[in-house]
Amino acid sequence: MATISITGYTDKVSVAPGEEVSFQVSVDNASSAQVEIVRLIHGDEHPEGPGFIEEVVPTVLSGEHAVTKQFVDVGNAAVVDDPDNKLGITGPITIYSYIFPTTPGKGRQVILGRFALDETAGYALCINPDGHLAFLVGDGEDTDEITSPIPLMHHTWYFVAASFDPKSGQAAMFQEAVVSPYNGRLGRVAPFDHHAAVEQKLRVKAALPASPFMWAAAHNSASIRGEYKDFLYNGKIDRSGVIGAALSVADLKALKDGTYTGAAHVAQWDTSAGYGEDGIGDVIVDVSPNALHAKGLERPVRAMTGYNWSGKHDDWRVAPSEYGGIEFHDDAVMDCGWDTTCTWKVPEGTRSGAYAARVTIGAVEDHIPFFVRPLKATAPILYLMPTNSYLAYANEMIVHHVPVGQAIMSHPAVLSEAEADYYQDPRFGRSTYDHHNDGAGVCYTSWKRPILNMRPKWRSSAIGTVWQFPRDLSTIGWLEAKGYAYDVATDHDLTRDGVDLLKQYSVVLTGSHPEYWHEQGLNDLEDYVADGGRLMYLGGNGFYWVISYRDGEPEIMEVRKGEAGMRAWQAEPGEYYHATSAERGGIWRNRARPPQKLTGVGFTTQGFDECHPYQRMPDSYHRSVSWIFDGVEGEVFGDFGLALGGAAGLETERYDLELGTPPHTKLLASSTSWSDNYASVHEDILFNHPGTLGTQSETVRADMTYFTTANNGAVFSTGSIAWMSALPSFDFENNVSQIMANVLDAFIKPGALPGGAWDQEEKSWT
Amino acid sequence: MSKSTPLVGRRSWRPKWPVNTDRVFKRRRYFGTKRSVLKLQGQFNPKTLRRELVLTDKKPLFWIAALTILLVLPLGVGNQRFLSLFGIICIYAAINVMWTLIIGTAGLQSFATLATVGVGAYGSAYLSITYGLPWPLMLVAGAGFGALMGWIISLPARRLDGLYYALLTLGLSEFMRNFVTQSDALGGKFNGALFGVAQIVPSDLLTTRAGQSLLYLTAFIALLVILIVFRWVNGGRIGLMLKTAATSKEDESFASAIGVDFQKARTHVFIIASAALGFMGAFYATYIGGTSLQIFSLELLLLMLAMIVIGGLGKAEGALIGTVIVVGITQWFTDWGPWRVVLVGVLALLSVLYTRNGIFGLKAQIQEIRERRQALHRAAITGRYAEYLPQQAPDIHDKSLIVGRVFERTLRDRLKSWIDPDIIKEHELKPMGQHSDHLERMLNYFRKAPIPDKYAVYCVEPFASYRVVALSGLPGVPPRIVDDKTYPSLEEAYHAVFLRRVNDLRAS
Repeated sequence: MATISITGYTDKVSVAPGEEVSFQVSVDNASSAQVEIVRLIHGDEHPEGPGFIEEVVPTVLSGEHAVTKQFVDVGNAAVVDDPDNKLGITGPITIYSYIFPTTPGKGRQVILGRFALDETAGYALCINPDGHLAFLVGDGEDTDEITSPIPLMHHTWYFVAASFDPKSGQAAMFQEAVVSPYNGRLGRVAPFDHHAAVEQKLRVKAALPASPFMWAAAHNSASIRGEYKDFLYNGKIDRSGVIGAALSVADLKALKDGTYTGAAHVAQWDTSAGYGEDGIGDVIVDVSPNALHAKGLERPVRAMTGYNWSGKHDDWRVAPSEYGGIEFHDDAVMDCGWDTTCTWKVPEGTRSGAYAARVTIGAVEDHIPFFVRPLKATAPILYLMPTNSYLAYANEMIVHHVPVGQAIMSHPAVLSEAEADYYQDPRFGRSTYDHHNDGAGVCYTSWKRPILNMRPKWRSSAIGTVWQFPRDLSTIGWLEAKGYAYDVATDHDLTRDGVDLLKQYSVVLTGSHPEYWHEQGLNDLEDYVADGGRLMYLGGNGFYWVISYRDGEPEIMEVRKGEAGMRAWQAEPGEYYHATSAERGGIWRNRARPPQKLTGVGFTTQGFDECHPYQRMPDSYHRSVSWIFDGVEGEVFGDFGLALGGAAGLETERYDLELGTPPHTKLLASSTSWSDNYASVHEDILFNHPGTLGTQSETVRADMTYFTTANNGAVFSTGSIAWMSALPSFDFENNVSQIMANVLDAFIKPGALPGGAWDQEEKSWT
Repeated sequence: MSKSTPLVGRRSWRPKWPVNTDRVFKRRRYFGTKRSVLKLQGQFNPKTLRRELVLTDKKPLFWIAALTILLVLPLGVGNQRFLSLFGIICIYAAINVMWTLIIGTAGLQSFATLATVGVGAYGSAYLSITYGLPWPLMLVAGAGFGALMGWIISLPARRLDGLYYALLTLGLSEFMRNFVTQSDALGGKFNGALFGVAQIVPSDLLTTRAGQSLLYLTAFIALLVILIVFRWVNGGRIGLMLKTAATSKEDESFASAIGVDFQKARTHVFIIASAALGFMGAFYATYIGGTSLQIFSLELLLLMLAMIVIGGLGKAEGALIGTVIVVGITQWFTDWGPWRVVLVGVLALLSVLYTRNGIFGLKAQIQEIRERRQALHRAAITGRYAEYLPQQAPDIHDKSLIVGRVFERTLRDRLKSWIDPDIIKEHELKPMGQHSDHLERMLNYFRKAPIPDKYAVYCVEPFASYRVVALSGLPGVPPRIVDDKTYPSLEEAYHAVFLRRVNDLRAS
């Protein structure tokens, strides 16, 4: 029997009662599946916790639904909108482009053209399987091509052009590298001579395929699967054009030199045109009178350095004309575009929470998660799920391609079957912790695709414990077990509703690892706290990376990892500024917003071998805060948990006045003396030296802090990702749970906080 | 490294043409084809990055040289014996080229080659004698007879394979001989000899040098025609398809899986080759002005087989050179008597015993022997993870790998010296967390190893069953399960990984 597999995604991150959420499901080797809506209560299946808990919600959706296998049309490209068929050229033609190929030897790749493999028809400027520039024509039966005599060098800018006159069969080709001290991997001292000019007669004339003119791809189709992009290109493409005449080699060279004065352009794309104050869209502007604009598919990366990058500017807004590079990747996926399997209209009165469509066929099941937010607050507690950070890690595969991965994680990777399968064919795209096939860091990630590791029971191969969403469910489990009334909303809801969302609540709880924040969200949270809101920051390494969304497209997130921070990759020089928001990417600390300024603590170390208990610090005995520890016995707490046996660990934070911890912050507890597998974070290190690891560095620790803000506001920070995983231990009855309840109970109540009266200078004789 | 480390490097003594990249490179093609006249490929010299133009396929040059010699030498020397010798060479070579197409490309073990040639010869000779058919029509008729014969012989090929088919086709020659001997119309009375067939070169001219030269020229042209047919079929779509299909052991099923109708393509090639053989038969008849039963003789068949074996199967150049050698020995050194045949036999035997595919397989064979010797030699003087040799360095693109090994060797030696039961016990008791300095350093080395073949744990069932796997490091290639052991806890699986790593370290 063939193996059945199920996966899918929802069209929205969160829905409110009255709205609809649709499920896009793909199934291998089955035609019908049982669908239920479930409310997720606990995920982590660690034997010391309560295990997986879900609650089936009776809905009209429950029952058998027809399912089918759905395919993904992987890869970046751009399609030219050409209603008058201006590029349906069968006569003389010239195509030219500036290109920066990154994998010239990987197989045939189209740069620009209109070619259909399934029809063997069309024309295309491309790179042939040997890595040579080629101009390909197909007449419906046979193909022919003219090729450059030398292979293209990867990560080098070229001007490339080809012309063809079908009447005489004469084809010409011209290529020349554009090498400056800045714009490529190699400088001019490497004595390459990339110049080539070729003439040759072709024996085939181009016939026109039905498919459109595309950048970076050809058209293909197959039975069952249907249409898809093929001959995908890896690398950058800068200014390009098409001319309806067969130019001589001399004229092709004149095009590069800017001295060309012949026949007019059919299309002349200025890849740096249309850059706005606040970002760059997907449209590639044709500045010729024909206005044959191209639209990028699966979000090609804009705002990349062009062939003419001077190296003087590092921001595309200052010198847009030097930033005409558009990067294409053959493995990019932003929207699977699957057919909807079923839709659920969330009934009025549905309680807010983390939900999933549970799709089962026999013993095989998958949970497709989404969130139900309230129309307006139904409780004093808001649990803000860090969906930005879920997207950042979506389909992360770090242990498969990062050699030092196991050293970072300090234990062998622990793979699941689903992950081993997915790695064979990563057809749902990658995470911002991975690299594209050409080695470039992944800067876009999207919700509209199956996200294998955002599943309630998923355990991270790298970490060996749960990570992100399944861990965050432990707090839902705790809130349920303790009987608190709470609402759930997401980062995406905060983006849409702003600070008004937060202001409805007495207290806001974060997830365990709210690492990725866009400026507005950070501002809203800061406004909320500054105005008297109460924040329980229940995680580690939060408020760290700068991210952005394009207006109206909240499902696709951009991140540019900059020159500092604990990072899986680093953007190329000059490419630190986001295309979607025109702001500098990187860590918030390097944009003058260290997390300490908001929460009292900020990222200080990570390690994945052991977690540890906290030890109470002297501040915690002050009457202004000692209520937090009511009912907690002894100096030490949190020496248990589903995450490597402790409440402090994985990724942790520290109090630091120099980084903006408010001066009246109380250092309640700390956990120190960790192993050398916990390393100081990169942004703390100026000169590297022996002694920055756990057994020798005092910054390797986790700090728990508390401070008050104006109007009875306060921030309580645990400073550790592992915190939440300690809540479920001993059936939710433990000292970590006790501290949580003490703080939450106090934060729920409006008015003055406990301990506020103890604000005078001490006069102690002991 | 030993004191007598040899210097590595070769200087090229081949003539070099500087590449003028400012000039337009005009790529020309053979008439009517997409094939370039010369396969010139540009490259950057890996030692200097200088632009070079390399001839990637030297065969056309050799062919032009060989065919020029074949044309000029007999005509230049001009004596009758020389001319007739080379005439025979051209004719036999043409037949062999077609035979090698049948055996090599179509993959049919057919011995009906000479039978087909004979049918072409006798059929066209009969038509010429009886109906006065002129020679150009004889050639057409010969091709027709050949094609018909080919079609008939191809029928049993669908059912019979290998040895049985070879036997059947071998018997066909004998059958033909019998048929001719018993047929009056085919000169059965004269022991199968037919005379008075229309000739290309009028017989009165044949006594002159000009006439003899002209006659040789016709044989040469016939060979050229056959070579073009070979190129057309073998290098064409159908030949490529058959050769692609034949790369697998289960030829037929593989071929049908990739969409090649193997039988049809095979039959197609076989009929074309048979038509060409029939054509050669007719040509032979007009060439000597008649035909004889010798054409069906087993002796000639075996001699021709020797030519193919010596030259190399499946290659036109092999058929040609084999023919030159064997015909040269048997027809030129006539005074050696029976020893000629022995010599041919010995050559064929040597070819079978010591070469993989005749003379034209020798180059690849020598290359392989060299590589094997090289590998053995290098393995003998270096161990695993030992440093690279000077002669290995040119093949290593990224030189940091070389120094990486130098470093790694020192590191591994140090780590190895720390392996003892205590350190293993320490890990077993506590695989995670802070360890002794030695164990920590050992783990750091293991954990930062490159991905290919790096160990990891595979979760069969969370908190219940784990196994050890090795990562592939290659996109799309899943991890490999290293053994059938399962471990009930992660800690035990971590320790199993550690033990494997220690063993690998020890073994290096």
